[in-house]
This record gives sequence, structure tokens and C-alpha cells, in this order.
Amino acid sequence: MYPSTLPAEADPSTMNGSSVAEPPDFQAATAAAAAAARASSLEQDEWSVGECGFLDPDVQRTMRSGSAAEDITQYPMHGWVDVTKEFHDACAELQPGELAQDMLFGLFEAMSAIEIMDPKMDVGMGFDKQDLPPPSFEAAIATGAIKLDDLTPSELIGIYDALFSCLVSWLEGNSMDQVLFTCLYLHAPAQIKDKALRVFCTAVRNLIVVIKKIIAVAAVNEEEDFQLYGNSALLAAEKAQPATVYSSLKDVEDELIRKCKKLTSTEDWMAVVHRLRFMRHLFQVIYHVEQMASNDTVDDKVDIYKILLVASEMLPGIRNTLDRGTQPEKGSDAPNPMGFSPRIHDRSQPPAFPRSIKIRDRPSSYQFLEEMISRFKYACKVTKYKDYYSALNFFIEYSKKSGQCILSRSVLQTLFSANMRMAHGKLPMKQFLRHSVQVFNSPPVLNAKHPVAADPKVQQHLENFFRYCINMNTFTQFIRICGFNRARQRDKLARLIENFDTIQVDAARLDSMMNQLANERAMEGNEPMATALKHSTHFSTWVLYNCFRAMLIFLMSGFELELYAVHEFLYIYWYPYEFLIGFLVSALTRTENILLAQEEYAEHQSKTQSGGSGAAKNRKAAKPKKNKKTQRPYRAEIVFYHALLSLCGGMYKAMGALTKDGRVRLPLSKFDNEEIRYNRRFLPFATLTSPPPVSYAEFKNVREHMMRHSVEDLYTYAAKHFDQARNVLESIQNPDQEMLDLLQIARTNFVVMNVLARGHQKEVKRQPEFDFSKHSYFPIIKLK
Amino acid sequence: MGDALPEAVLIQKELSDKDSQEKMDLVTKNLPLFAEKIVLPENDTAAKSEGIHFCVFHDESQLKVLMGLIDKELSEPYSIYTYRYFVYNWPDLCFFALDGDRYVGVIVCKLEAKRDGYLQGYIAMLAVDAEYRKRGIGRALSEMAIDAMAIRDAAMIVLETELSNKPALALYQSLGFIRERRFLRYYLNGMDAFHLKLMLHDFIDSSLNEV
Repeated sequence: MYPSTLPAEADPSTMNGSSVAEPPDFQAATAAAAAAARASSLEQDEWSVGECGFLDPDVQRTMRSGSAAEDITQYPMHGWVDVTKEFHDACAELQPGELAQDMLFGLFEAMSAIEIMDPKMDVGMGFDKQDLPPPSFEAAIATGAIKLDDLTPSELIGIYDALFSCLVSWLEGNSMDQVLFTCLYLHAPAQIKDKALRVFCTAVRNLIVVIKKIIAVAAVNEEEDFQLYGNSALLAAEKAQPATVYSSLKDVEDELIRKCKKLTSTEDWMAVVHRLRFMRHLFQVIYHVEQMASNDTVDDKVDIYKILLVASEMLPGIRNTLDRGTQPEKGSDAPNPMGFSPRIHDRSQPPAFPRSIKIRDRPSSYQFLEEMISRFKYACKVTKYKDYYSALNFFIEYSKKSGQCILSRSVLQTLFSANMRMAHGKLPMKQFLRHSVQVFNSPPVLNAKHPVAADPKVQQHLENFFRYCINMNTFTQFIRICGFNRARQRDKLARLIENFDTIQVDAARLDSMMNQLANERAMEGNEPMATALKHSTHFSTWVLYNCFRAMLIFLMSGFELELYAVHEFLYIYWYPYEFLIGFLVSALTRTENILLAQEEYAEHQSKTQSGGSGAAKNRKAAKPKKNKKTQRPYRAEIVFYHALLSLCGGMYKAMGALTKDGRVRLPLSKFDNEEIRYNRRFLPFATLTSPPPVSYAEFKNVREHMMRHSVEDLYTYAAKHFDQARNVLESIQNPDQEMLDLLQIARTNFVVMNVLARGHQKEVKRQPEFDFSKHSYFPIIKLK
Repeated sequence: MGDALPEAVLIQKELSDKDSQEKMDLVTKNLPLFAEKIVLPENDTAAKSEGIHFCVFHDESQLKVLMGLIDKELSEPYSIYTYRYFVYNWPDLCFFALDGDRYVGVIVCKLEAKRDGYLQGYIAMLAVDAEYRKRGIGRALSEMAIDAMAIRDAAMIVLETELSNKPALALYQSLGFIRERRFLRYYLNGMDAFHLKLMLHDFIDSSLNEV
């Protein structure tokens, strides 16, 4: 289906400007000239150019912003010229199907045209007798539609709750003008006399500015997530002063609390106070994050986590008093009876925008805010992950849980970047990577205490390698990619994976050079340095591990995004089962072996040095016990990968069995080409030298070999794999929810495979349902 | 990669079939005759679409019919200029299905050169009247369109469809399309879309890296 939104190449603003400035050489030019002549003769009627409907939209916005909010209730009464006769005369010259075109206005450009009186495009067609044009801020005041002073608690609560709903709808990706700035109070808060309302509206406006900045700096936003740019003329009307918002809110809170002490019935006013307090703490957190994004010096006294806790504590009180505020009227799009005009910006929206936006209801909006605060709390934990391996794991987990919330993802990126600058100063990512390799598999050349680290030749090679890692930007991008939405992540991972190859080559070169230096040192008789340098696959292993990780995420995310047809499951599960997960396990096992060898070497060294001291021996003897606790730092992850391996094997054999059994719908062969599809699916891996690409021919051979088994045997093999997965998962102590879900999948699929192996539904071949509700990567196979 | 990319070769399995050859010859010969109504023979799904015949777009009188078929089925609010853009630029890639005098289905496509130098076909719209579902008309229209674009040496054919449009997804999947990407909030109604692709030649284009 072709999207009806405007193509990026066709800028309606430019087109309209061009049309007005230089009338095209249409036959319709006659009508345009006639219209111009009539316009001249009507100047005595005080026709204002600012009210001319067909002026360039940018000009209209400029003039409108100059007067804060234009009164458009009188709009239709000015400036119109009747061109019906001229129009009919021009049309009479056209044959049916004949179109007027110009070099700069052809069929493509015509798609951006607005057809007069078409209900879908002509915004004026939306008005009828029962739906008067929406009033402006000034008009609403004049007619008494909104109050500026002496608002009741009920009115304040209603407006506050409606504004929070608009804020949430905006964060979900809707146009700022179509949600937040339907609130007339936000157009000119300075004119509001009621202090509680004025400070709240000012806080909202400042919050808009601050949030936009956080999202812009984090740079993990796409057009489908959030509209970062757009009509912000109203936003510019009053300058943002975020630094003063906190104290303004606090003052009003304190004033209202003092007022409550004089009143007998305080519940409603306290409900107002709770909302102000919630806004104050939410604002404080978000403003502080924005300061972290743009400043190297940040107030260390501010504890974001504690502020978030206070904000959370306000929410139950707010939820319990939702019904105390004024409520939206039935049948109205306005989120509150007073203060909101849903269609006030109809004329300023591009034609491609939705005609109306459904603003979130109040309970679910507060639910959204509560979940957002939980995500912010979770994001605060990123500061304790000091190396690339653990930070990347955190980002991957966070991405799975942060859903579509662009602000949460941006906050995490900001906290991480700020924390890095604090920890590593200038060139933070370079120092971070250096530190990360050391933590990952502890190369002796990165250990400052080790004698080999002082060798200037060694240091030069290390410097070159890490500078190269930074220049390629691959590791930085991997963490940033986790901040994009799930669909964009996959697109960007495809490009990232291709970049790993050059870094792999450089890492291998570095390891090779370390080996060479080790041999040189050995020949020089420097045995300790030679032995240290022999542990030399550190950098290759580190790079490969991260590359394999990216590949696995890319491949399996296709299930999460529903990109794979069922008949493709066979080769998608085959590749991680046969290759990729094994590579990951090898990398981690090799790393553990390196660490173990180093510990043995260090132990040997210390024993040799302390051979002559009895007292020292007793003290050293305690070390081996401590070391045993950290000898296998990647054991848990390796065990998890063994479970994934068995699950992929189970799915691979299951798909083979189901295909051979005639239960999988295959595409017709007229246009389809499996080899092309296969190559397409593994395209990002094609440029890597490690792991080497696996050709379609190779896959075909493996599959043909597997398919020689009987259907019953294949189902049985699949069941065995699922049973292996169950065994592995059950051996894990303290399993998290993901492991419990995988365990259920393994158990259920084990049963299903055995049922099929025994001949269930032998006469009726139906494609099973693959239920991914338990896990993004692995389905429960359900027979129909 | 060490090996040079193999030259793109059009898949011509179908050309050995006599009926297919005859059909393609007919299409090729008549492509320039925009003003003349072209009646195409029934295709492989003749058994299901008995009584249905097909033609290409030829003049303005069909525009209202086209708009009527599409507006009923799809969520996007197209203007008449959108329809004109396609059918006046690529009239021979707009196929109608008729039951007697009644228009019951339509497919609208375009074919243009991409900056990598290959031709890319695009299926913009496909709709079948609700009363005529499950008779293979959608498949027949799709196959005709793909054949027409393949004859003109299209390297690939792409389209987008809504996440929730299961019948369309099933149809395109059975024709060999893969869902290459998912676009979040792609349509005005907020729905996600799949970007579907059918490669007729095997080569590496740049589209996977377009972000």
C-alpha cells in the first residue's frame, strides 16, 4: 500500500511559495490574473494580506507567531474573491482526463496538491453548524470560555490531569501542536493570574524545551518515535527558564499548604499539591539529566534516584483523586471542558498529518508516567557497569524492557555518556575500551603493574589499536544502537556487523605482533616477559565476541519483528545452532582459559619468589580458595548459550520434520528463489572473514543430509534437543523470568514433538501455530 | 568478498511454457497501445477465476472505478492526484479484473530506475471487491503485474503492507516475497508496515543499508 504522506522530495511550502510568486504557465493563469485584478479593486474593503488563505504557510506562521495567537473566528469573512465563472471558463477548455501541467508541476507534484472541498484534505470542510471554528486564546477569554483567576481545586485538578495526558501523548510521538498546544493556557502562561495554574503551565512549557534537548542530544530518535521538529512558534513566545521552575513550584506548594491549614476541607487542595509536587520532582529529574547531557560539570549533590522515589510516592495519591477534577465531556475530543481547543491548529498542520489525535485517557497516562519513572530508576543503575561487556549487557536488557518510550532510551544514553566522561575524562570511550579489554580477559600488556606494560613498543601498538577502534566507531555505535527502537536497531546492526571485519583484522595483527615480541624477548633471555606476552589472543577474542553478539541479535530479532515466514525458520535456526552460538561459547571459553592460565602463572611466580619464607607461605596458601570463586566469570552466560544452542537445534530439527511431513506452507516456485532469499537473509554476514560466510550450497547439503531421516526420527531428534535444553535450564540456580519462560517452551515443545513422532494427525497435514508470546526468539509450537 | 558478483540473470523458467510464452508475447506486443483496450487471456488460476477477464488502464473513465475499489479497502486517504500519478505514468502496470462489465479488482504499480542502476518495481495498491474474495483474483492480478515488470527487466519488486493485513501478507509470501524490514507507525492510522521484497536477480543492492 502506497503511503499517502508527502514524499520528502516534494516540499509543499516551497511549492506553494513558487506557485504564488510565479504563476505557472497554465491555462489557469487567466483565472489567476482575473483574481489578482479583482483583488486590487477590493483594496478599499480593508483586505488584509495576513488573512489571505493561500499565502505561503511559512509566512502565515510568521505573522501568526507575531501576535501570539490569532483570532480566526472572523477568518471566513475576509479576503475571498468569487472566481466561479473564471474557473468554469478555464475548465471548459479541458477534455475529460486532460490535465494542466508545467515543467515544475507534473503528476508527481500534483500529489501534494490540496483539492478544494475534498473532506480528506480541505480542512475547511471539517466545519459545520454544530462545530464552530475553534477559538483562540484571546477569543476564549473574551467569551468567558476560560478563566484566568480564582480557579477552583476541581478546575485545577482537571487541567493538570489533562496536561499530563497531553504530555504522554506527545512523548508517544504525536504532534506537539495537536496535543499539548491544544491547551490554550500553554499559549501565554504569563497572562494567567492564578498562581497555581501559571507555574504549572510554565513548568510544562519548560519541560517541553528540556525534553526536546535531551532527545536531540541523545540522538537515538527517528521520525516514527517522536516529532523533534515542527511548529514551535508558540513555544518561542515566552522564553524558557528551566532553572527557576523548581523554586516557583515549591513556592506555590508551600503557599497552598499554608492555605490548607486555615480550611476545614483540605482534600481537594492537597490533591492539587500532590500534582504540583509530582511535577516538581519529575521536572527536577529531567532538567538534571538535560544538564548532564550538555555540561561537564554537574551538581553531584543531586541524587536522581531519590528524587524519582519521591515522585513515585506521589502517584497513588494522584490516582485516588482522579475523579475530583473536572472530567472530559462525552463526545468531545478535548481532554478537559475548560482550556482546551482540539482543532485550534488545524490550519497550521501539514496535510499529511492525521486529522485528529486521540489523546490518552487520564488513568493510562499516569500509568505511563509511573512506568517511565521505573525505567528512569532502572537506567540509573548503568553507572555501576564499568566496562564494555557489562555495559553492553545492560543496554541490551534495557532495550528489551524500555518499549517504545523515546525519553527513557534517551535518558539512558545521557546517563551513560555523562558517567563515562566523569570516569575517563577526555577521550572517554577510548579509555573505556582499554579498561574494558583488561576487565574482559586481562591481557598482561594492559596491566600497569606488569613489567611488559612499560615497553614503549608495546604501548605504541596498543595506542594504535584503540585509536583505530575509536575511528571506526563500531563499539560506540553498538551501544548507541541499543537506544533506537527495535525495528531501527535491526537495520543499523546490519551495517554495524559489516564494519567489524576491519577491526578483526587489526586485532589479529595486534595479537600476532605480541606473539612476535614474546619470541624476541624469549631469545633475549627475558623469560617472564616472554611468558606474559604469550597470552596473545586477547584482542581478537574480545572483538570476535562482540561481533558474534551483534550477529545473534540481528538474526533473532527477525522473529521479534515478525520478519520471517514459517518456511524460513529452518535456515534461520540452523545458522545459530550449527555456527553462531558455538562461536560465542568458544570465545567465552577461550577467555576463561586465558584468565585461568594467568592466575596459575601468577600463583607460580609468587610461590617462586616466596620460597624461602615460612611465614609468607602460610599467608599465600589462602589465595587459591579466593581465586576459585572468580575462575569462571562467564560460566552463567556459557550455560545460557548451551540452552539456546539446544533450543535452536530443536527448532531446526522440528522445522525439518514439519517440512518433510508436509505441514509447512512453501511459496510457489514461479517467482520464488530460495537461494536468493537465503543470501538476502544472511547478507550482513557476507563481508566478514570471521566467521566465514556459509554458502547456500553448503546449507542445502546439510539440509539434504538431515532430510534423509524419516519424519518420525526427525521429530524424535527435535524432542531430544528440547529435552537437553530443559536439562540445562533446570540446572541453573536462581533462574530469572526469561529462563523460566524458555523452560516452559522447551517442555511444551518436547511434548509436542513426541506426540507428532507417534503419528498424531497423520492424515491431516496442517501448519502448526508458532506462538512467540512467551519469548521473542522461540515459539511454543501449537497443533491445530 | 573474493569472488566478483555474478551477472544478474533474469529467471526465465516460465518462458519455456507455451501458454506463458504466448501470454508474455501478447503483453509485449500490446504495451504501447495505451488507448486501445487490451483483453488478456486467463492465467494459471483460470479454474478459480472463471468468468473473470482482465485489462489494463486506458482512459479517464476508469479512474472513478479505480478510486472506488481502492478507497473501500485501504486505510490511507488518497487524493485523485495520487491515482493519476500512477496510472498516467505507468498505465500498462495497472491491471483491472472484470466480471462482465463490473470492475472487481485492481492492482497499481510503477517501475523506475534506482541510483544503483537497476530497475525496481513497486506495487502501490491492490484491492479486490469483498464479494469476489477467495477466487484467486488478487493472485492473478499480482502475477500479471510481476510478469509485466519482469519482462521489462525489473531486478526486484517491493511494496509495503500493514502489519494486520494477513491476507495480503499470505499472498505475497506465497509469491516469494520476504519481509525485509518493519516500519513502525508507518501509516496515518498509526499502524506498522512491513517492507516486502521479491528479488528477481541476485545481487547486493544498497537498500539494506538505507536508514
